[in-house]
Amino acid sequence: MSDYAELHCLSNFSFQRGASSAQELFERAARLGYRALAITDECTLGGIVRAWEASKKTGVKLIVGSEVVIEKGPKLVLLAENLTGYQALCGLITRARRRAAKGTYRLLHEDFVAPLDGLLAIWLSDGDASALPWLRSLFPERLWLGVELHRSADDTARLQRLLELAGDHDLPAVACGDVHMHARGRRALQDCMTAIRHHLPVAEAGAYLFANGERHLRRAEELAELYPPELLAQSLRIAERCNFDLDQLEYHYPHELVPAGHDATSWLRVLVERGTAERWPEGVPARARAQIEHELALIAELEYESYFLTVHDIVRFAREQHILCQGRGSAANSSVCFALGITELDPTQSRLLFERFLSRERNEPPDIDVDFEHERREEVIQYVFRRYGRTRAALTAVVNTYHGAGAIRDVAKALGLPPDQVNALADCCGRWSSGPPAPERLLEAGFDPQNPLLRRVLILTGELIGFPRHLSQHPGGFVISEHALDTLVPVENATMAERTVIQWDKDDLDRVGLLKVDVLALGMLSALRRCFGLIERYRGTQWTLATLPKEDPATYAMISRADTIGAFQIESRAQMAMLPRLRPNTFYDLVIQVAIVRPGPIQGDMVHPYLRRRNGEEPIDYPSDELKPVFERTLGVPLFQEQVMELAIVAAEYTPGEADELRRSMAAWKRHGGLEPHRQRLTSRMLEKGYTQAFTERIFRQIEGFGSYGFPESHAASFALLAYASCWLKCHEPAAYACALVNSWPMGFYSPDQVLQDARRHDVEVRPVDVRYSDWDCSLEPDEHGEPTIRLGLRMIRGMREDDAGRIEQARQCGAFRDVEDLSIRACLDASARERLADAGALSGLVGHRYQARWAVAGVEEQLPLFAGVSAPSEEILSLPAPSQGEDLLTDYVTLGTTLGPHPLALLRQALRAIRCKSSRELQAVEHGRPVSIAGLVIGRQRPQTASGVIFVTLEDEFGLVNVVVWHDLAERQRRVLVQSQMLRIDGHLETVDGVRHVIAGRLTDMTTMLTGLDIRSRDFH
Amino acid sequence: MLWACILLPQLAMDGVQRHRANPCEPLVLLTGSPQRRVLQAVNPAARALGLKPGQSLTAAQTLTRGVATAEYDLAAIERWQQFLAAWAYGFSAQVSLHYPRCLLLEVQSSLGLFGPWSRFEARLRAELSALAFQHRIAVAPNPAAARVLVNVGDGLMASDERMLKQMLDPLPVERLGLSATVTMAFNRMGLRQLRQLLALPRDSLAKRFPAEVLRHLDTLSGQRPLALDFFMPADVFDTRIELSFEVESHQALLFPLRRLTADLAAYLACRDSGVQRFTLHLEHRAGADTQIQVGLLSAERDPGMLFELTRGRLEHQQLPAPVLAVRLEARELPVFAPQHQQLFDERPQQNQPWEQLRERLRARLGDDALHGLGARADHRPEHAWQHEPTNPLLPPSGPRPGWLLSEPLPMREASLRILSGPERIESGWWDGEDVRRDYYVVQTRAGQRGWAYRTVGSDGPLLLHGWFA
Repeated sequence: MSDYAELHCLSNFSFQRGASSAQELFERAARLGYRALAITDECTLGGIVRAWEASKKTGVKLIVGSEVVIEKGPKLVLLAENLTGYQALCGLITRARRRAAKGTYRLLHEDFVAPLDGLLAIWLSDGDASALPWLRSLFPERLWLGVELHRSADDTARLQRLLELAGDHDLPAVACGDVHMHARGRRALQDCMTAIRHHLPVAEAGAYLFANGERHLRRAEELAELYPPELLAQSLRIAERCNFDLDQLEYHYPHELVPAGHDATSWLRVLVERGTAERWPEGVPARARAQIEHELALIAELEYESYFLTVHDIVRFAREQHILCQGRGSAANSSVCFALGITELDPTQSRLLFERFLSRERNEPPDIDVDFEHERREEVIQYVFRRYGRTRAALTAVVNTYHGAGAIRDVAKALGLPPDQVNALADCCGRWSSGPPAPERLLEAGFDPQNPLLRRVLILTGELIGFPRHLSQHPGGFVISEHALDTLVPVENATMAERTVIQWDKDDLDRVGLLKVDVLALGMLSALRRCFGLIERYRGTQWTLATLPKEDPATYAMISRADTIGAFQIESRAQMAMLPRLRPNTFYDLVIQVAIVRPGPIQGDMVHPYLRRRNGEEPIDYPSDELKPVFERTLGVPLFQEQVMELAIVAAEYTPGEADELRRSMAAWKRHGGLEPHRQRLTSRMLEKGYTQAFTERIFRQIEGFGSYGFPESHAASFALLAYASCWLKCHEPAAYACALVNSWPMGFYSPDQVLQDARRHDVEVRPVDVRYSDWDCSLEPDEHGEPTIRLGLRMIRGMREDDAGRIEQARQCGAFRDVEDLSIRACLDASARERLADAGALSGLVGHRYQARWAVAGVEEQLPLFAGVSAPSEEILSLPAPSQGEDLLTDYVTLGTTLGPHPLALLRQALRAIRCKSSRELQAVEHGRPVSIAGLVIGRQRPQTASGVIFVTLEDEFGLVNVVVWHDLAERQRRVLVQSQMLRIDGHLETVDGVRHVIAGRLTDMTTMLTGLDIRSRDFH
Repeated sequence: MLWACILLPQLAMDGVQRHRANPCEPLVLLTGSPQRRVLQAVNPAARALGLKPGQSLTAAQTLTRGVATAEYDLAAIERWQQFLAAWAYGFSAQVSLHYPRCLLLEVQSSLGLFGPWSRFEARLRAELSALAFQHRIAVAPNPAAARVLVNVGDGLMASDERMLKQMLDPLPVERLGLSATVTMAFNRMGLRQLRQLLALPRDSLAKRFPAEVLRHLDTLSGQRPLALDFFMPADVFDTRIELSFEVESHQALLFPLRRLTADLAAYLACRDSGVQRFTLHLEHRAGADTQIQVGLLSAERDPGMLFELTRGRLEHQQLPAPVLAVRLEARELPVFAPQHQQLFDERPQQNQPWEQLRERLRARLGDDALHGLGARADHRPEHAWQHEPTNPLLPPSGPRPGWLLSEPLPMREASLRILSGPERIESGWWDGEDVRRDYYVVQTRAGQRGWAYRTVGSDGPLLLHGWFA
């Protein structure tokens, strides 16, 4: 046991300074026998929860503190002695951070006016003693002089000087280490981070680098060599005084939501009763009543009433503002949430059980995320800030960590590589890789992995990956508290004005027991709300998510045909390929459909067994009887995260607490590892109980797959609800649905052009943009039979401004436009707006074709006030030649991004037939295995991470889409054609499996020259 | 008048290529921010690999690997333009760089000397090809039209207005040199050819388009002259003296050398500049010139000093062959900062001013024998200094000796007394010369103070690294 406690130590949460994680620091401190370790990151407590966990794991006592530099003042290490001291520290950091730009701080003398009880200070003197009287008055009996020796030339003299200073002023002196890394071996990384911080190559950063690697956790013998024993002993005295533990934090949910005369429990009951009356006007079914009583009892037992009340309040606000929302997450699909309006999913109608989402054994906080319309989420956020005030509500932080590409970029730059090589190295990493690039990739890119410089780059990159880089704001994760937040955690500024962020991320909150509410944005909700609005205005029918007819066979038939362009979640290429195989015909099938096309089930090889069992090609059996209840609803195949946890409990005898640990590890293993202990524990226990090796391995691969995109059943259920709603609308109100999608764009997987082409293939009439009829948004107009048609809105015109469109709508209400001049004057359109209208063909009703229109608008003279009302001398009318079909097509795409004329491929069809290319319609008649040639616009290229090197290309022609599979070898051979073509010809053969038709490419030909100038935007890889 | 327009379609690429051994090797020129590098120009070999200007470097690298890259350097382009303008100045007194990457020459007046045009054109092409610049040439009665024609095709000639009109009328609007927005506007009105524009009523056109459009159309047809800035040759000193006989001794070259240095000094004086670097060319009957580079540490213009310096260099030079001509070329002519002298400055005869001594030493001992001294921000003592004088921000450090040994020497420790230390230095991992040393200030029995180290963790002898004064 060494008689020392390190009181000045930075972790990697002092960004670009600390070169070791808290875990590494505590592990080494434990090995060296340190009595305690203070984590004193510079003006932040962002890393303190991780330090706390590391402390609990290693048994080394944590002291919570922070290193601060006071503006025009001394440098101090502040240590929290107790809860009061911790709160004082949070307050100081908050004040210093809030007055400075994001990522910086300004700590002023005046900040120390606030009470500092419970806060100890170590003064790191630079020899200037002028601040001493002030410090003494602030920290009576709580001030030390820090002595930090790092084997520099003047150590002896320095020690002497400091001891004299301490002696002269009767101040106790204490040994500290100014620790920047856990061990000497991090010296290179620490130098490298310094260079990164100063934006210099290491070789030029000499002035900022430490002269040696002494700033690590040193062995007792080394310390004894440098420091007098009294100074080391003093560190223990301080450590003994500091007894604050994060466990002591007390967090309360806001109380103001409960009116006088009620407590949280009774008020929640009142709200739930009101809700049930609305949900079940004819009386609550017995099953639902029982479920509600059960849930309320559980909520009361766990004291989560305030949490449900808070979420309810936010949702109530949204509802009053007509903002559509839908909850998801572990507690969201409960009967209570259904009654409170947080979810539209009727739990009595589905096979989901609340018990699974909130359990008294697991002791896991309830988790409700609420999605709001993406364009109106900000209103909700501002409501929360308004309601609770900036001191009591803040967003959670997101700790941005180094990924492969970012790490190698910074390291390579610091090692002086030229920009082009830095970029080339970063490209070798791939977008989200979590490791340094593989040697083969480097060789391919022309780098020699054995080159000493490159080896240095790779080693340091490996060390830097996973380090925190900076804090940013969570898009909508709120922490709301009864008391000021800065008594719990420091609060700082976000990049966006009007936003404040706490210094902890959601995992930290989880561990400390703070509750958060996620206010998220979802484009589909905007589209659905618009669609409901359009239908109501057109037909007078009021639909809501809850009232749409359930289990509609026509909708499921459409889904099973994979006719789902524009639907929520099940519209991607991979989803569409799965639909005809799975053929969903109940709501729970949709829940599975949403969850099955994910890395988890795919990596765990669970997809095909499920499909086979569903189609009766394989008997349904269970790994054991005890697992039957766990896997029954998924035919014996584990598909959901919840099932994996239940499996751990049932088959591997995990306690609920261990299962929760497994859940956390699943979410984090890519970043921190930590799954290995679970692998051993799960495997050995399951083997013991007689499960096969193959089964445990498959389960474990799936657990790893969940890591990247864990997809729990509770989320899948909420998404399935929206997927069903979107499909019902697409099936029964195709015009309104397409119209709403286009108005909500950008969102989803397909461009407005693709959505509109799809609508037209479903016999929806689409009418052109026209200033005489078009609003800003696309709208519905009745055709001669009263069926809705889509009138394109002015928003379709590229570069058109919404306020110009608004004035056009307004002016039109006072009477139809006579001509272009009249339009320009009454709607106050400038030249650019007029030109855009003309080019888009929106003036054809006033002046004729777009060429004529452009000539006409160019002739409109700006109105000068003096000549108002005086009409310009009339001009001879000039007749310009009309555009050809091809010219119109090109201009349509350039100005509107879509065309109502013939599809480009229709114009080329004759030429294509001459070279024996089939259309997508003709393809339907081709048999499996037959050779075939097709051509189409490339509207998508995808390289799924789960498919090894295969690239999926989607082609569009005038009749529909064709799915093409390009195998790895061909993709490499014809890379250029594949990447660059806007229009492709594929020679290959047709493959049909379970009604899914693919063309397997044998040769690719670039046909782009056939449509030169067309602006077809392809969604490229990923 | 008749104007030739020489378009240099690949000026930047040609400028880089002419310095490269293998022009068939794929090469791309890059611009853009370090984060987003973009291909600005590609050579034919690179084009054949599918690379196109405007592509991002990342995209290019996904297509192909191992393409040579160079910077797209605007300053270099400007230099080549000046260079080619100077070349063109040899053919016409009216040369203009009005259009970027184009040379405009008035050729009518030169036809007497170089004509007829076919011969003149062949000569221009031959010389440009010899200089390795891709080019296209067109001739028209006015410079604007010549510029437009050279875009349309190589070798076009409109010798009079009538012919010009015939050639211009069917041209597409994109080719007329109008701004992109105007071109786009015409296109969006379905107006595709110059002929259609000219058929429009002038006042309708004037009402719809900015005045420049009509002006440009008028300039093209020659109804309105184009205002040009003409090229003036650049300021460099380049003077050549041809000797009347073949000179084989250094002695005989001193006279012309004195003339040239004197001329240079005079030239510098009237420009109020100095010279920091110049080249003396000794031309022989066969073979390359012998070139003698003369570099100074600061800009000078004293004739005696310039002569002495050059003489020093010349006398060290072996003459491979008899000399026919001497040429002195000075391109870097920075502003001269004169030395301040006391009015009654008394200086002993033998005393040379420092600058002169310095330059003489350099001339006699060679450029590398003498250099300045500067500090570097590096913790390793052997890396903490450098040849060029600098003044960087330095890290704090302990005492450092005035004399650092180039090779550390082992010391016999018995006789040593340690005065202070250790000072630990651990640094330099980034260049493969990482050091981990504990330094001590030591005193020998003779009272000399030395600076010695031992590698951390080793127990070898102390190594002497320097002496304190």
